[in-house]
This record gives sequence, C-alpha cells and structure tokens, in this order.
Amino acid sequence: MLDEVWSKVCSFVAGRKRVEVDEEIQYHLEREIEANLAAGMPAEEAKRRAAIAFGSRERTREACREERPSFPLESLGRDLRYGLRGLLRNPAFTTVAVLTLALAIGANTTIFSLIDQALLQSLPVREPDQLVVLSFAGARPGHIHSEGGDSTGHIHEFSYPMFLDLRDHNAVLSGLIAESPLTLGVTWNNHAESVPAELVSGNYFETLGVRPAAGRLFEASDETAPGSNPVAVLSFDYWKTHLAGAPVAGKTILVNGTPFTITGVAAPSFHSMVWGHRPDVFVPLSMEQVLQPEWPYLTDRQSYWIDLAGRLRPDVSRAQAEASMSTFFSSLRAAEFPQLRDQSAKARQDFVSAAHLNLEAGANGFSPLRESTAMPLTIMMGMVLLVIAMAVVNVASLLLVRAATREREFSVRYALGATGGQILRQLLAEGMLLGLGGAVLGVAIAPGTLHLLIRWLTGNSLDQLPFTAKLDGRVLAFSLGLTVLASLLFSLAPALQFRNPQLAGAMKQQAGTGAGGSLKFRRTCVALQIGFSLLLMVAAGLFVRTIDNLHNVDPGFTTDHLVAFDLDPSLAGYGPAGVAPLEQRALDAVAGLPGVRAVGATNDADLTGDDRQGDMVPVGYAAKPDEDFDVELPWVSDGYLQTLGIPLVAGRHFTAADTATSQRVAIVNESFAKHYFGNAQRALGRDVHRENKPNTQATIVGVVRDVKHESLRDPAIATCYTLFSQATRQTGLTFYVRTWQPPEAATTEIRTAIANLDNKLIVGDLRTMSKDIESNLLTERAIAMLAAVFGLLAALLAGIGLYGILAYSTAQRTREIGIRMALGAKRSTVAGLILREVLMLAGVAVVVTIPLAALSTRMVRSQLFGISVADPAAYAAAVTVIGLVAAIAALVPARRATTIDPARALRNE
Amino acid sequence: MAQTADLLQGTLDMLILKTLAPGREHGWAIAQRIQQISNDVLQVGQGSLYPALHRLEYRGWIKAEWGASDNNRRARFYSLTAAGRKQLAAELENWERLTGAVNLVLGMI
Repeated sequence: MLDEVWSKVCSFVAGRKRVEVDEEIQYHLEREIEANLAAGMPAEEAKRRAAIAFGSRERTREACREERPSFPLESLGRDLRYGLRGLLRNPAFTTVAVLTLALAIGANTTIFSLIDQALLQSLPVREPDQLVVLSFAGARPGHIHSEGGDSTGHIHEFSYPMFLDLRDHNAVLSGLIAESPLTLGVTWNNHAESVPAELVSGNYFETLGVRPAAGRLFEASDETAPGSNPVAVLSFDYWKTHLAGAPVAGKTILVNGTPFTITGVAAPSFHSMVWGHRPDVFVPLSMEQVLQPEWPYLTDRQSYWIDLAGRLRPDVSRAQAEASMSTFFSSLRAAEFPQLRDQSAKARQDFVSAAHLNLEAGANGFSPLRESTAMPLTIMMGMVLLVIAMAVVNVASLLLVRAATREREFSVRYALGATGGQILRQLLAEGMLLGLGGAVLGVAIAPGTLHLLIRWLTGNSLDQLPFTAKLDGRVLAFSLGLTVLASLLFSLAPALQFRNPQLAGAMKQQAGTGAGGSLKFRRTCVALQIGFSLLLMVAAGLFVRTIDNLHNVDPGFTTDHLVAFDLDPSLAGYGPAGVAPLEQRALDAVAGLPGVRAVGATNDADLTGDDRQGDMVPVGYAAKPDEDFDVELPWVSDGYLQTLGIPLVAGRHFTAADTATSQRVAIVNESFAKHYFGNAQRALGRDVHRENKPNTQATIVGVVRDVKHESLRDPAIATCYTLFSQATRQTGLTFYVRTWQPPEAATTEIRTAIANLDNKLIVGDLRTMSKDIESNLLTERAIAMLAAVFGLLAALLAGIGLYGILAYSTAQRTREIGIRMALGAKRSTVAGLILREVLMLAGVAVVVTIPLAALSTRMVRSQLFGISVADPAAYAAAVTVIGLVAAIAALVPARRATTIDPARALRNE
Repeated sequence: MAQTADLLQGTLDMLILKTLAPGREHGWAIAQRIQQISNDVLQVGQGSLYPALHRLEYRGWIKAEWGASDNNRRARFYSLTAAGRKQLAAELENWERLTGAVNLVLGMI
C-alpha cells in the first residue's frame, strides 16, 4: 500500500520517462512483427503491416503524455514560456502595454489603499466586530461640542452624566467607553508644546483590549472623583519621538500647567477609538475640569461633548442591545426634561418622544473624518477605474494589431493540429503575463505614489492624516483581482478573433483590403477610449472650474500679508483670571513690532472650517414660531475687524476704550441687521442678548459688511461680534497680524515677542492666511488635479489608440487608395477619406458619451462650486481637446496616404 | 460526442482491468487477449491502449514493472492493485446493471 502511494507521488512529479514509453512501443511493434511472421508473411510485409496497425508513434507518445497528472501544469508552463518568448520578441509592444497597465494598476492600488484605510479596515483592537458606536435621535438644547460626522437622527455627542447612567445600567454591553478630543499644552524637560490629546473613560483601554507598550494603561478605577487623579498615558509615537522611548512610568509632566503622572504608553498600532484621531496624550475624563476650568462639562446634562462606543456581550445581538438600551435612554430623557428651559408640548415631543438610541456596527470606529473623505475618495476611485478601463481597451487594441500580424502563425498551428482551446489558452497566458508584469510594476510604484499623495493631501497642515503608505493584504488581493480581470478582458479580444480563423483564407498571402471583423472591433475600442477620456475630461473640467471659482471667491476681506497663529494661555497653566490680560499683552506686544500694520484676534478662526454658533436676539424679541436662527458668535479683540479689513457700513468700530469694565458692545453684520432690524441704521443702539444667559447683553455700536467665515464655499451667515475682554468666559484666541513685508518674514519676530512675555507660552500653528485657505481647499484641489492628470492621460491613450487604428487601416487600404488615385482622385480627397474616418469615429463616441457624462457627473454635484453639472464650457473644452487629439492622430496617416504612389501600390499585388 | 467517447473509454478501462484479473501481462498481450476472446470483434487500437494503461496506472488501479517476457525480452508488465480489483468489481456490477436494463427494454419490445 505504502509503495503504491509512493509510486503515485513519483509518477505525479516525474511522469513516465519518454524512453520507457519508447521501449514499450518498440516491444509492442516487435511482437506484432513476430506474430505477422508467424502467420507466414514475408519480413518486409510483416514490418509494414505492424507499422500500419500501430499507427502514428508520435500520436501515441503524445496521448500517453497527456494522461500524466501533471500535464495541465506542464502545458501551462509551456504556454507561459511561449508567451514570454513572443513578448520578448516584440519589446516595443511589450513595453508600451506593460507600462500602460502598470500606470493604471498603480493608480488603482493607490486609491484603493486609501479607501481601504478609510472605509474598510477595522480598528487595531481586540475583536473589533463586537464594537458598537452609539448615537441618538432627539433634540439637544444646550451646549454642543462637535467635530462633525453627525446626521439627522444620528448625533454622536453625549453628556457625561448620560454616559455614566448608560454605563452603569445596562446588561447588554461588557463595556461602554467614552472619549473627547482636545488640545493640551504639555511641558516636558522645560519644552512646552501644544499636542492633540483625548479625554477618555477609565475603562477605555481595558474595554478596547489595548495593551501597554510600557508601564500600565488606565483602569476603571482611574476615573475617580472629578479632578483627583492627575494621570496620563502617552501614545507610542509621541513616546518615541518626544521622549526617545526612555522609561517614563511614574514620571511627571506638566499638562496645562498642572503636574500629571505618566502611568504608561499605549501599544504602537493603537491611536484612538475614533478613526482619524491621533492623540499624543490620554487623560481620564474625570480630569476635564482641571484642564478646562471654564467648562463645567462633567456635571452638566445639557453639554454634549463625548463620543461613546460599547462592546457587546458575546451572547447579545446588536438589535437586542439597541432595543434594551434605547428604552432606558428614553426614560433618562424623560427624567431630564423637567430641567429644560422650554417646557412646551413641542419641546417634549422633540426631546422625549423623538428620542432613540442607535447602536451601530463599530468595527472600524466612528469617524467624522471618514464622512468627509468618503465622497472624494469614491470620486477618485471612479476616475482610476475609468483609467484602467482605458488601459484595458488600449492593450486589447495593441494585441489586436499584433494578432493581425500573427494570423499566419496561428493558421499554421491550426494546420499542425492545434485545437482552438490550445490557441485560446496560449493567448490567455500571454495576456496574463502582460497583466502580471503591469501589476508587479504598478504595485511596486504604489507605495511611492501613495506616500506622495498623502503628503500632498496633508499639505502644510499640522494635523496628521491617519493614512499610511503601506499596502495590506486586502489591497494586494484587490490589485491581483483587478489584474486578472483586466488581463482576461484584453486577452479575450484577439482570442475571440482567432478561435475560428478561416484557414484557407489566412494561409493564402493576405490580399490586403482590410480584415473587416478585426477593424470593426478596433474601431469600437477606439470609440470606447474616446468616450472614457471625454468622461474624464468633462469631470476634470468641472473640478478645475470649481477650484478656479473657489479661488476667485471674494471672502470680503483681503487675505494677503496676513499671518495667523493660535495662542491659548491656559495651555501654559494660566488660570481663568489670567488669560484675557495675557492675551491683551500679547496683542500689544505684537502691535509694537516693526513691520506690523495691525493685529487682531478672535476665538473663531476664519476660513478654517471652524464655527461657533448660537442664538443672539434683540432684547424683548418675540421669536416667530419655529424660528431657529443661529448666528455666528465670534469673540474678537478691538482691532480684529480693522486688521482683517472688514468694511464698516454704519456706526463705529470697537476701540481701546471698550474695556472689560465699560458697557458691553457688539458689532453685527448686514445679514444680522437685516434679519432682526430690517436695515443697518436701525440696528445701531439696539440691545441684543443670549436668552437666559447672564451677562450677555450688549449694545450694537456698528454694522459691518458680510464676509465669508467657515470656508470660501459656504455662504456668509448672520454674525454678531463681541469683545473677548467682555466675554463670559476666557478662551484661547487665533491672532491675525497684517504685515508690511511678506508675511513669512514676520514669524520669527512674533515668536520672540510672545516668548518675551512668558517663555512657557505656546505659539500654535504659525502660518499665513493664504496657507489656511489652501488647506481649506485641499480636497477640491486634489480632485481637480487628479481629474486633470487622469483626463490628459486618457486623452493621450485615446490619441495613441486612434493613431494605431488609422495607421493600420490606412496600410490595409493602400491598394484601394492606389486605385482611387490611379483613377484620378486628388490628394486632398484621399486625405479627406482618412479624416472622415476619424471624425466619424470621434463624433459617434462623443455623441454617445455626452448623455452618459451628464448622468454620471450628477453624482459629484455636491463637490462642485459655482457651476452646474451641465457647464457648457467644461463640455466644450473636453470636446475640443478630443477633436485636437483626433486631428493630430490623423495627421501622420493622412499624410502617408496622400504620398502613396499608385503604380507601386498596385504592383504590390 | 463527448459522451460516447467517455463510454468507450470507460469500457476499454474495464476490459483491461478484467484481462489483468488472472495475473500480470504486458501491453501487446492485453490487446491480443481482448481481440481473441471477443472473436476479433473488439479491436484495441494501440493509439488508445497505451494511453489507457498510463491513465489506469496514474489512477493507481494497476501497477507496472519491467520483467522478462515469455521469449525472454524485456517487457513492461502490468498487474492489478488492490484498488484496481475494487474498481473492477464496481465496474462489472455497473455493467451488469446497465446491460441488464438494456436487455429488459429490448426484450419488452
């Protein structure tokens, strides 16, 4: 039994040797001859009969070989060898095809890797599939601290008391955790720096299953009575880059001026339960009050500021858990309701009856960033898929040209007994080789392009994008799958053509009046290419026009010669009473610098996507039913409006005479004045306040022009400026410095001036306003740029394809053209013949594609600005480029056709 | 087309196995034996005999070894393996059932 298995293995590996088969056949023949001799035949006749009876020895040998178990593998190897030899014989073709594919596959791998990281990968925690992200439906009157990512019915920020209730009273989760991002000032070795940080619940690391890289991480017991446990955990990256990986457990750092004890360092791969957060420092939620003394978040049920996630018990389904927790959530809301200001029936309806708690699958974590990157990434993916479609068509068309020259080769092989299947297999093997070549090259360049793209997307901003330039298994599988699919598609083109060639016809010397079938197929290919490139160019046109429009938007103030930086004295340990005076000193210090024209500050940075909104109404104002008019509420310095150059429409600007102790004043913009007072003049002298908020009443002393605030894209909204020195709370500010010289030159002086006040102060993110605007437009610019690149690439590919088919068909028609010219056709007529062919092709492609383009560009409407999806200019430009490309591609073949010598063309026959 | 080929191939396989049931034999003798016993009705073409022998060998139903023939020449001898015997039994049973059924139908009409 064992040696049977062994012999089977041996025979599988080696097969039977050819000599053995030959010997066996020889023996058979000899026995046959002997038998014939015995039957009385003469020797010659016996041999002849035996040979006839046996038939073809070679056939038998072949047939025996085909029985070998390893035969399919062997023939695959042979096909690949043949294919490789064929490809190497034609290096120009192979190079073009492989490079085209490498480019397309590289682009797809790059973009898919981003999609994979943003949308598909799970958090690097224990059993991520058990995680759920909590959100709720229902009104939330009060203070909201949100980073975005919310939608109707899915609000992700909860209050701390609500978190405690949900955490302590549920039987469906093995853990409920919370986090809130913030910026902290960290001082280590006398070096102060502002760092991204996270306030987290005590059970955060435990529930996620994150291990320490050093020391210990927080435990549930670390979340103690408010303010009593100053401990911190560091991220692995921060530990390595800032503390050189030295032993840190038990050491003390200053966080916002308060000493905190480091307990440990988190595992290297872990960043946060929110994808996109990259905190350097983790601090227990219970320390919130110490770090932000102005914000009593821990006890307030109407402050919505922490994101929640839970881990399901293994025996509980998500639906069960949601049902159970949502009921409890509703009862908590009912209990909260009596404390609300508005006790109307409608308010009860919105707050209690509409309340619902959602538990959503959270393996890859909640992420506001994901919400904002999903659409641009999807658009980019669509574009690169178009590029690979073009590449496939291009290679298919190249393969067809090649196949045309190999018609005789294949016909001969048919004649020698090859089956259609064998030919098909060989063509597929060749295609796969090309595809794999392209894939290897494409995947090799992908990390490089990925790195470039990430750096480009990050721009100069300090916020690190959570993307890495590493390809994981899923991305590689995607690339391989894409390659195989693409290879199948483009190999099929010539394969279909050669499955059944008319042997006789092909064996004859080609007569040269054009191979109808293949030419039709190639025309279709080129028409498809023109269509794809038109699609890409229309998209490129729309995005380029969008970015152009955005650049030309007038924000309402001059943005050049403007330096911005952030200063938050509380990060350096200043208490509530010290913040505003220090900020005033900083303003004075910077104003005194040579080369500074003006300086102002606001807590609501311009054109960075920030907003601070709330209600602000005239005193005694009776709101219309359902009037929910939120306005922008920046706290500014008295020089802010003048520094930015926001024009005054009525009244006066803030002055140095408006101080912390003088009467509270406000300046509103035209939209605000129009909404509440009808016009600017009538707003002057009126009092406004935030309802039920003490110390917010202020008198309007001026009205200014509307300006863009959140971004260039968003329309200006009603705004009420008040002074930070008169505000109810102390806060960090963004300073704007208008300079005489180029703004970059002022940065050193500014740093020195601030350091002279107090060297613990942290000057955050010193940049120019133009840079802020650029990073605000980054997504748009990235899409526009990529679309333009892909569009041009597409046009180039289409041009090459078009040239190929024209050159080929002109060569095929040499005789026809010769006859025409012999019969007296003019050169111009002949050139017209070629041009007509081009125009027909391009025309048909354009006409077919335009409705398609109109349909597909609808999907990107949300990303456009200032133009409609049917922008005529974008379409006209795309069609013009196609026309130009087609004309250039036609030039050479047309010239060649007109130089055909009729006599020679006819003699060729 | 493919079906008939399969049937014929299967039948040849069974005949070879049956021929080898009494003991080892070489290729030429197998062909002769089948031809003689069938009164020259079944002619086994060499073009299909040797591939079939190889196939059966790769499947592990027969094994091959070099040995001396009756006229003292080196020849390749085939014999049934245990798996081959089992296979032969199964094929015979299958054949009985098939021919039995066909006979039934023929007898009825």
